[in-house]
Amino acid sequence: MKEADRLTTSIKILKREFDKLTTIQLIVTFSISLLFLLIPIFSILYKAFMYGGSFSLAHFGELLHNPLMIRVPPSLRVVEFIERYKFVTLENGSRLLVPLKTLYIGGSGPDFGYILNSLFVSSIVTLSTSLIGLITAFIMARYDFPLKNAFRVLLIIPLLATPFVNAYVIGKVLGPGGLLNFVLRDLLRLTDYTIVIVGLPAVILVQTLSYFPIVYLNILASLINVDPSMEEQAENMGAHGLRLFRTITLPLIKPGLASGATLVFIFSLEDLGAPIGLSGAFGDGLHNRLMSFYVYDEFKRALTLEQVHASAYVISVIMLVIASIAFLAIKKYVSLRQYAMLSKGGRWSVRVRRLGAKGIALAYSFLIPVILIAAFPQMGVVTLALTNWATSGVFPTRFTVEWMSSLVTKADVVTSIKNSLIYSGLAILMIVAVGTSAAYIAARRNIPGRDLVDLLVTIPIAIPGIIVAVGYLAFFGSTFSNTLMDPFINPGLLLIFSYSVRRLPFTTRTVFAGLQQTHVSLEEAAMNLGASRSRMFFTITVPLLATNIIGGALLSFVYSMSEVSTSVILGSRNPSQGPITFLMSQVIYASAAVGTVSIAAALGVLLMTLQIIAITLSNYLLKQRVAFLGI
Amino acid sequence: MVAVRLLKVTKRFKDVVAVDKVTIDIRHGEFFTFLGPSGCGKTTTLRLIAGLEYPDQGRIFFNNEDVTELPPYRRNTGMVFQNYALWPHMTVFDNIAYGLKIRGLPKKEIRDRVYGVLELIKLKGLEHRYPTQLSGGQQQRVALARALVIEPQVLLLDEPLSNLDAKLRIEMREEIKRLQRQLGITTIYVTHDQEEAMVISDRIAVMNEGKVMQVGTPEELYRRPKNLFVATFLGRCTVIEGVIRGATPDGYVILVSEEGALKLKGTPPSSDIKLKEGERAVAIMRPQDFSLEEPKKPFNVIEGVIDWLSFVGPYVELRVNYHGKRFLINVPSDFKIAGKRRFKAFIPCDATVIFPLRGGIEEAA
Repeated sequence: MKEADRLTTSIKILKREFDKLTTIQLIVTFSISLLFLLIPIFSILYKAFMYGGSFSLAHFGELLHNPLMIRVPPSLRVVEFIERYKFVTLENGSRLLVPLKTLYIGGSGPDFGYILNSLFVSSIVTLSTSLIGLITAFIMARYDFPLKNAFRVLLIIPLLATPFVNAYVIGKVLGPGGLLNFVLRDLLRLTDYTIVIVGLPAVILVQTLSYFPIVYLNILASLINVDPSMEEQAENMGAHGLRLFRTITLPLIKPGLASGATLVFIFSLEDLGAPIGLSGAFGDGLHNRLMSFYVYDEFKRALTLEQVHASAYVISVIMLVIASIAFLAIKKYVSLRQYAMLSKGGRWSVRVRRLGAKGIALAYSFLIPVILIAAFPQMGVVTLALTNWATSGVFPTRFTVEWMSSLVTKADVVTSIKNSLIYSGLAILMIVAVGTSAAYIAARRNIPGRDLVDLLVTIPIAIPGIIVAVGYLAFFGSTFSNTLMDPFINPGLLLIFSYSVRRLPFTTRTVFAGLQQTHVSLEEAAMNLGASRSRMFFTITVPLLATNIIGGALLSFVYSMSEVSTSVILGSRNPSQGPITFLMSQVIYASAAVGTVSIAAALGVLLMTLQIIAITLSNYLLKQRVAFLGI
Repeated sequence: MVAVRLLKVTKRFKDVVAVDKVTIDIRHGEFFTFLGPSGCGKTTTLRLIAGLEYPDQGRIFFNNEDVTELPPYRRNTGMVFQNYALWPHMTVFDNIAYGLKIRGLPKKEIRDRVYGVLELIKLKGLEHRYPTQLSGGQQQRVALARALVIEPQVLLLDEPLSNLDAKLRIEMREEIKRLQRQLGITTIYVTHDQEEAMVISDRIAVMNEGKVMQVGTPEELYRRPKNLFVATFLGRCTVIEGVIRGATPDGYVILVSEEGALKLKGTPPSSDIKLKEGERAVAIMRPQDFSLEEPKKPFNVIEGVIDWLSFVGPYVELRVNYHGKRFLINVPSDFKIAGKRRFKAFIPCDATVIFPLRGGIEEAA
C-alpha cells in the first residue's frame, strides 16, 4: 500500500513538472542529440570493435603494429643539410657546377607515426599556446601602455578563421622561394643556405599562431575576474612579484588556463586546416602524417562505405578517447560553461599599472612580434585575394579584382557560397530552437534529466568534428542508404544537422548566461498571473533574452559558415553540394600544381568579413567587453 | 474571499528543512504576516502558497479546495515580489494588463480595469513609461497594481518594502494597509522587520528554522510571548532564568533564579500553559513596563545599582544590576541620577511573563 502511494506521488510529480513546454523541449533536445550525435558516435565504436561479426580488439591490434601508425624507432632527423650541385650554363657556353645548399627542417623527422604525431603536435601546441597566451594575457590585463586598445583588437585577428589558406600562406612564406629566405639569404646574406620548414614543425607553427588567442582570451577573462583584494591582501602580507603570481594569481586563473589549453588541445587534434594547407604549399609530406588527415584521406578516397578501411574507424575512436580524456581532465576546474563565452569582466576596477619607458619597451618587444607573426596569415590571405601574389614570387607585383569578383562570377564558387548560406541558415533555426530549450531547462528546471541535457549540449565542443563526420557516414551511410539522408548521395542535408550539433554550444551558452542574469521572479510573476509555462516562455523569457538569442545565433551562424571538419569530409561525397570550406580545401590541396589558391583566399576574405561583422554585432548586443571565441 | 489553510506542510531543499510541519489557518479577509529572521522559511511558505514550490508533505487549501498540486497559474493568487519583477520589455500598462490578457478579457474591459487600478494606486499618467523610468516607490506601486488588477483570491507580498528607503517604507506600508482594508482581500505578507509586521498585520506567525514559533495578534505576541525566541525577536526585554517554586494566593507563579537570591512573581502567557513546581522556566520583562512609582496592582520590586545609562530621546535607558542580573529598564527622559547610583523600580506581575524554558512551539493555531 505504502509503495503504491509513493508511486502515485511520483507520477503526480512527474505529471506536474513535465508540462507541455518542458516535454517538448526535452524531446527536441534529446532526439536531436541522440540522432545526430550519440548514435553516429556509437556507430563508429561498433565498426571499430566489430571484427568478422564479433566484438574484438583485432583492428586495434593491427593498427598498433603498423609502423606507419606507430613508428619504431621514430625518426628524429629534424634538421638536414642538403648540398646538391647543379650545372649552370654561362654566357660563354661553359658549364659551371654550383652548390645548392638547403637547410631542411621537418622533412624527414620528427616522425613517430600517425597516432603519436598527433599527440606530439597537440601537446607541443598546447604548451606553446599556453605560454604565449599567459604572457600576453598578463600584459594586457595588468598593464597600461600606449596603443593598448589597438593591441587588444589586433590580438583577435589570428582567431579569424581562414581555413587552409592561412597554412598555405605560412608555407609560402617559409618555402624555398618565400619571404623568410629572401630576407635571410638574399637581403641580409646571413646564410647561403635556403631554409625550408615543413612537416610537423610547420604544423606546430601554424597551429600555435592560430590558437594562442584562445588561451589568451580565456586567461584574460579569468584575470579580469580576479577580485583585486585577493592580491592586495597577499601584498599586504608581504608577497610580491613572482611569488605573488605563483601563490595567488596563478591558482585563481587556473580555470581559464585549463579550459583554454584543453580547447587548444582538442582543436589541434582535429585540425585539418594545417595539414591540408601545408600540403597545398609543399605537396605531400610529414605535415599530413596526422590522425585527422588520415581519417579525412581515407574517407575521401573511398567511393562507397564498404571501401572504407576499418582503420579509419579505429583512428576515430582513438581521437575520441584522447579528446574525452582531455575533457574529463579539466572537468574539475570548469563546468565547461566558460569555454565558449567569456564573462563580462569584473564588477570592480581591475588592477592596472601604468608602465614606465622600460616597461613599455619590454611589453612592445613581446607583443609586436607576436602580433606581427600571428596576424601574418590573415594579412597574407587578404594579399593573396587582392593581388597576383600566388604566382608572382616573393612579393606581389600588381593588384587585381579577378579573385574577389570570382565570388560572384565563378559558378562553383557561387554554388559553394549559396550552399553554405543555406546550410548555416537552416542550422541556425534548429540551433535557436534546441539551444534556447536546452539552456532554459538547464538554467531553470529542477527535473530529472536536467544535467544530461546540460551535458548533451555542451559536449559537442569537445568532440572532434571529424568524429561527427565519420559517425554520419557510418550511421546514415548504412542505415539510411539510398534515402535523402544518405551522405553518399545527399550530404547537404546532413551538413545542416552537423552544423546544428557542432555550433549549438555557442547559442546555448549565451542564452544560459542571459538566463543567469535574469531574475527568475520575472518568470514566476507571469505564472502567478495565470500564464502557463509555455505562454510565459514565449511572452516573457524569449523577449527578455532576445539579445542573447540573436547574439548567440550570429556566432553559431558564422562558425557554421567557417566549419571545416564535417564540411570537408561530407562535402567530398558530392562536390556539387559542398560548402565554402570544402571548396577551399579542394582548391588549396590542388594548388601546389594549379595555383588557384587566390580563389580560396577570396573566400577566406569573405569568411573573415562575415566573422568581423558577426562578432562586432554580437559583442554589441551582448555588451561583451571581450570577444567571443570559436573555431 | 478566501481562507488559506496549511496542514502539516513540509518542504526540504536537499538536507535543509526549509518549512517544518507548518499548520496555519488564515482567515477570510485577514492581513496575515509571516515574520522571522532570514532563512527561517517564511518566503518558502509564501512560495508554497503561490504554487512556485510544492511541499514534500502536507496539504494546502484555499477554502475547502485542495490546491497542493495545482500549478501557480491555476491558483489565482496575486504576488508582489521582493524585487518587484516588473518586465523591462513592457510598459506600465502592459505589465498591469498581462494577467487580464491571459484571462482573455475583451480589450475595452482590460483598459477600464487597468486605468481603474492605476487610479486606485495613484499612478495615472505613467502608464506608457517603462519600469526603468520609474522610481523605486512607483515600481512598487506598479507591482502591487499588477497583482491586484486580476482580483486575486489571495494577495501575496514578499518583503515588498525592503528595497525602499525608510521614509517611503512607512508611507507604503500604510498605503498597503489602506488598500487591503478597502478591498477586503485576504493578504499574506512576509517580512523580517518586526515593527513593520506589528503595524500592518491583523495576525502574525513568527517563524524560526522552518517552524512556527507562535501565532497571534501583534499585541498578544508582544505582551504574551510563549517562548524565548518570540520574546526576544519582538523587541528588547530582560530575561531571567530560574525554577518554579510555588504560587501566590492571588494566582501568580513564583520563579526563583538559579542562585536563589532573586524572586519574581509572574503569569504564564496563556491559560493553557501550566507551570509545574520545580520546572525550569524563564521570566521576561519589557523595559517600558517598569515604573518608578508603586503600581496599584501586584508588583515585583527591582532594587539595584545603575551600571549603564543612555539618553535615547523619548526615554532614558538604564541597565540596573540586581542580584547579579542585569535589568533593562526605561525611565522618563527627564530622569536624573541623584547622588548615589542606587535605584528602585516596580513592574506589575501581569507584565512579568513566565513560560517553560523549552517554551511551547505551536503545532496548530
